[in-house]
Amino acid sequence: MVCSQSKFIMVRTGLFIAAVATSVIFYTACKKVEPIEIPDPTPSTGVAVPLKVPPYQKLSTYRFFQGDIKNQQPAEGVLEYEPISSLFTDYALKKRFLWMPDGKSATYVADNDILDFPVGTALIKNFYYDHVMPGDVTKILETRVMIKRATGWIFAEYIWNEEQTEAYLDMNGGYVNITWNRNGQELSTNYRIPSETECKVCHKLNDVPIPIGVKPQNMNKNFNYPDGTKNQLQKMIEMGYLAGSLPPNINTVVNYSDATQPLELRLRSYLDINCAHCHSAGKHCDYRPIRLGFSETVLKTNMGLCVEPGEMIDPAMNYIISPSNINRSVMHFRLNATNESVRMPLLGRTLVHQEGVQLLEDWINSIEFCE
Amino acid sequence: MKRKLFLITAALPFVLTDVVAQSSCNTALSITAGLHTVDAVDGPEVPMPVCAPNGTGASAGKWYVYTPADDYTVRVSTDLSQNTGKDTRVHIYTGVCGSLVCHAGDDDSGNGYLSLIDFAVTQGVTYYIAFDNKWSSSGFDFMLEETPFVDPPVYPVTFTENYFPTITGDYKIAIADMNGDYLDDVVTVSANQVQIHYQQISGAYTNTTYPVSITYLPSWSMAIGDIDKNGFNDLVLGAGSGVTFLYANATGTGFTEVTGSQYVFSQRTNFVDINNDGHLDAFVCHDVDPNVYYLNDGTGLLTFHQGGLGDHDEGGNYGSVWVDYDNDGDADLFIAKCRGGSSTAKYNELHRNDGNGVFTNVSTAANMYDPVQTWSSAWNDYDNDGYMDALIGASSFTDGSHKLMRNNGDGTFTDITSGSGWETNTQSSIEYVTFDFDNDGYADVMGGNQTISFNNGDLTFTPMAYNFPVGSVGDMNNDGFLDVQNGSRIYMNDGNTNNWLKIHLKGIASNMNGIGARVELYSGGMKQIRDVRSGEGFRHMHSLNVHFGVGTNTTIDSVLVHWPSGTIDNVLTPDVNQSVLVIEGAHPLGLLEVDGKKVELYPNPANEQLSIKNLNTEDVALIKIVDVQGREIMTLNQPAATLNISSIQSGMYILQIDLKNGKRYSDSFIKK
Repeated sequence: MVCSQSKFIMVRTGLFIAAVATSVIFYTACKKVEPIEIPDPTPSTGVAVPLKVPPYQKLSTYRFFQGDIKNQQPAEGVLEYEPISSLFTDYALKKRFLWMPDGKSATYVADNDILDFPVGTALIKNFYYDHVMPGDVTKILETRVMIKRATGWIFAEYIWNEEQTEAYLDMNGGYVNITWNRNGQELSTNYRIPSETECKVCHKLNDVPIPIGVKPQNMNKNFNYPDGTKNQLQKMIEMGYLAGSLPPNINTVVNYSDATQPLELRLRSYLDINCAHCHSAGKHCDYRPIRLGFSETVLKTNMGLCVEPGEMIDPAMNYIISPSNINRSVMHFRLNATNESVRMPLLGRTLVHQEGVQLLEDWINSIEFCE
Repeated sequence: MKRKLFLITAALPFVLTDVVAQSSCNTALSITAGLHTVDAVDGPEVPMPVCAPNGTGASAGKWYVYTPADDYTVRVSTDLSQNTGKDTRVHIYTGVCGSLVCHAGDDDSGNGYLSLIDFAVTQGVTYYIAFDNKWSSSGFDFMLEETPFVDPPVYPVTFTENYFPTITGDYKIAIADMNGDYLDDVVTVSANQVQIHYQQISGAYTNTTYPVSITYLPSWSMAIGDIDKNGFNDLVLGAGSGVTFLYANATGTGFTEVTGSQYVFSQRTNFVDINNDGHLDAFVCHDVDPNVYYLNDGTGLLTFHQGGLGDHDEGGNYGSVWVDYDNDGDADLFIAKCRGGSSTAKYNELHRNDGNGVFTNVSTAANMYDPVQTWSSAWNDYDNDGYMDALIGASSFTDGSHKLMRNNGDGTFTDITSGSGWETNTQSSIEYVTFDFDNDGYADVMGGNQTISFNNGDLTFTPMAYNFPVGSVGDMNNDGFLDVQNGSRIYMNDGNTNNWLKIHLKGIASNMNGIGARVELYSGGMKQIRDVRSGEGFRHMHSLNVHFGVGTNTTIDSVLVHWPSGTIDNVLTPDVNQSVLVIEGAHPLGLLEVDGKKVELYPNPANEQLSIKNLNTEDVALIKIVDVQGREIMTLNQPAATLNISSIQSGMYILQIDLKNGKRYSDSFIKK
C-alpha cells in the first residue's frame, strides 16, 4: 500500500500560549484519504458519481442539487427520502437523498436488511440546524455521502463553508461550535463531524462498510413529494430505483415521536435506528448481550430486560433494564449520560436526547416483572 | 412492658408511642427467629453506616434488635414469595445505638431485588437489624432463621469504607505521588481543574485545587509520569477524540496543557520509555485505528507517532500494558483487544521490544493471539518463578472465557486455566489489575464485578466478594497494605499479620519514577518480581511505588532494581515493614572493573576532595555529579582522578562516569 503523508502538529495551548515551539512529524499509517485535485471525469450535465477516482473535492461537483446548493433542492433523478424513525444527533435536522445511475435499480432483500443497491448508487445526507444564532439562520454543517463501488461502499465526508456556498471533502473530522433555538429553548453544542474512522464504527458489518437506514422496515411510509404524497418504496419502484416485487406486508417500524403508537413499538423503533448498528450480530459491540434490531426486540431479553450488563458501571444497576426502576437500569443511565465513556450511543451525540430518554423511562415503568 | 412504659414517658412530648416503635435504633423492636412483617420503611433514623452494597441514598429506616441464645449462623431474608417484585435492603450491626458497627448487610442477593444474608452470631451479643428505603418504602415480610453455627468464610483481608466528601471532580480515577514525598495522593480531573489530595505523614490529606483549562478529559483513562523530569509528575488524559497532556510546573503548583491536534479514540493510556533513550514517552490505545504514541525529545516535548505498535486497521485496542515478559530488561507491549463481529481486531497482541524502538509482533509465536473479548489483562508473576504470567480477563464470554497463561520462560505461554479457579469464574469485567492485597507474597487479581481473586500460591485463585468495584490502588494510609479508591470513597485495607516492603524509586539516567524498571525481591528462598508500570487495567492509574508482601518472612535478603538505563541497584537485607528509597546508581551491584581493578570512590563521605581509585582517566569521556533530584551539579570534560567538591552543598550525590567505550558507571557519595 502506498502511504500518503500529511502533517500532524502538537500545539501547546493553555496558560502559555505559543510559549514552546511546535514540532512537526509525519504520519505514516495508511489510513486517510489525501486531498488530490483530480480532473472532472464527468459529463457536463446531470449527476456525476466517481466510481474509480477519489471522491470529489467539492460537493457541488456531484450536481446532486439544483440551483443554490444550500437550498437542498434535489436535481433530476435525485430522490429525497426519510426513514420513519431517525437517529438522534444532537437535534440536528437532516435531509436525505439517493441517486442511482440510469437503468440501475436496487432490489429487496428483507424487511430488516438494507436494499441491495447497484454499483454507482449514492446516498446523501445533509446535517443542518434551523434558527442558528446569531442571525436565526439555517446552517448546513456537513454532508455525508456513501458511494457504492464495485469494491463496496465508500464514505465521502463534506464540510460546509461559512458562506453556505460549498462543502469540501474532509475525512479527518472536526468540530463546529453551534448555538441554536429549538422550540424557544437555546441549545449549544460542540458539534462533532466524524472522521472516516468514526463513520465506519457504525457503518459496518464484520468490518465491511454498509449503509444503515435504507431498509424496507424504515422506508415503508408516505412522503410528500413535489408531485404529491406517495409511499417511498412505491416511489422508488415508479422511478425504476427498486426492481422486482415487494412482499405484501412489510414488518415496519413506527415513528417513535408518534404518541398515538403503542409505547413498546415506539421504543423498539427508537432502539433500532439509534442502537442496532452496534448492537446486532457482526456489529461493533455484538459481544454485549443485547440485540436491538427491530426484528429482534420482539424478545424483551434482547432489549436487556433483566439481563446483567457485561460492564458494571454501578453495582446498583444490576440489569440493563430493571422493571419499573430506571435507577437500576443501565440503559437508562447510559442514554441519560454525556460522559463519553458511559454514554450511549457511543458516537454521534454530546447532548442527551430528552424525548428518547423519556420514551425509555415510560416503557421501563410500564414493565412490572422480569419474564 | 417496662420498655414500652419508658417509651411512653420519654416520647410523650413528641408523638404517640406506637409510631415511634421500630423507627430508630433506640426504639428497635426486639425479635426472635421467625417471620416478621414490616408495615413500611418509614422511621426517621436512616441506618448508618451503610453495611450493604450500593451506597447511601436512603431517607428512612425500620429497626429491629436480636440477641441470640446460642451461637448460630443466622439468615435474614426478604426472599419470600409474598415479596415478589419488591426491593429491600438490610444492614446488620453490633455495638450500641449512636456508634453502630457493621456486621453484615445485603441488597440484592435474593431473587430480583430481595435481600438474603447469612452471618455468624455469638450468644448474648446484641445485633441490630435495620432495613432502609434506598429503593422502596413499601412494606414486606422478612424471615430470621437460626441454623447451627458455621464458621464464616475467612477473608485474607477486609477493607473499611472511608468517605471523603472533599474528593470531587469529574474523573476520580488516579492515585500517584504528586509532590515527591512518595506518599500516594489522590488526583482528580475536571474541565477546569486538577484536584490533589496530598497524603500527609499523619495519614490526613490536604486538598489543593489547580486551575487549568483542559481540552480532552480523561473520559477513557489516565496515566501519570514525569515527562519533563522536573521532579513533579505529569498527566496524560485519554478522551474519545483526542489526547491531552498536563505538565506540572517546576514547583508542582500548577499545570500547563498540551493537546495534540490528532483524532485519537483513546482507550488505555500509559507512560513508558518506548525507545529506551532515558526519556519518558506516552502510549495511547486507539479504539478504531492503529495505536498512537508520543516520543519525548528529552526536554519534555512530545511528537506524535502512529504505526508500528499495534496496527490493525480497525483498532480494537483497549488495554495496553507494558511488561517485560522475556526478562531482557526492556518493557514489551501486550494489548488486550475487543471487537464485535468477525473482525480480527479482537485478537490480542504481544509485541516484543527488541531495543532501540524496534518491536516485533510475536502474538502467535507466543500463543497469545486469542480472540477473547478483553478490555484489560493482569500481568504478574503468579507462581514466583521469575517470569511474568498473564490473566486475560474476559469482558464478555462470546469469544472465549478468562485465560490464565503461564509464562514458560522461553517466549511462549501455556494456557493453564483449567483447574485454576478462573474457568468457573462467571463474572466479567472491563478491569483486571494485579497486586498483592493480602501481603502473602503471591500476586492477586482484582476484577469481576466486585471481586478480588486471591492467589493461593499454587496457580489457583479463590474469588472473594467485596462491596466495591475495581478502583485505583495505592497505599492511602502508608501502612504497607494496599487500599482501593473508588470515586470519593477509599476502601482502607484492614491488613493482617503479614510483612511487607515498599520500594520508592528515583531515576537518574532513567525516568524519574523508574517506570519500566524490574524489581526483584529475594526472601526466605522465594523470589518475587514487579514491573514498574504507569497505566494498567483499563481506566485507572495506580501507585507508582513498588509493593511486595512477604508473608510471614521477617527478613529479606536483597532487592534488585534493574533500571531501564541498565543500571542495577542491589539493596541488601532491608528490614521488613518499611519503605526503602532507591536512587538509581546508589546501590551498585558490581563496581566497574578496569583492568581487573575495582573502581571506588574515597573518602566517602567526603569533604573537600573526592578521589576515584583505579580509574584510568584516559578511558573516560565525561564525569558528572548529579544530585538526588537528577540535577547536574558539576561536569568535568577533562576527567581527573580527584575532584574538588568543596563548593557543593552537603548531601547525597551520584557520581557518573561515562567511559569512551560507551560503558557507564555510577556510585553515590555523601558530601559532608
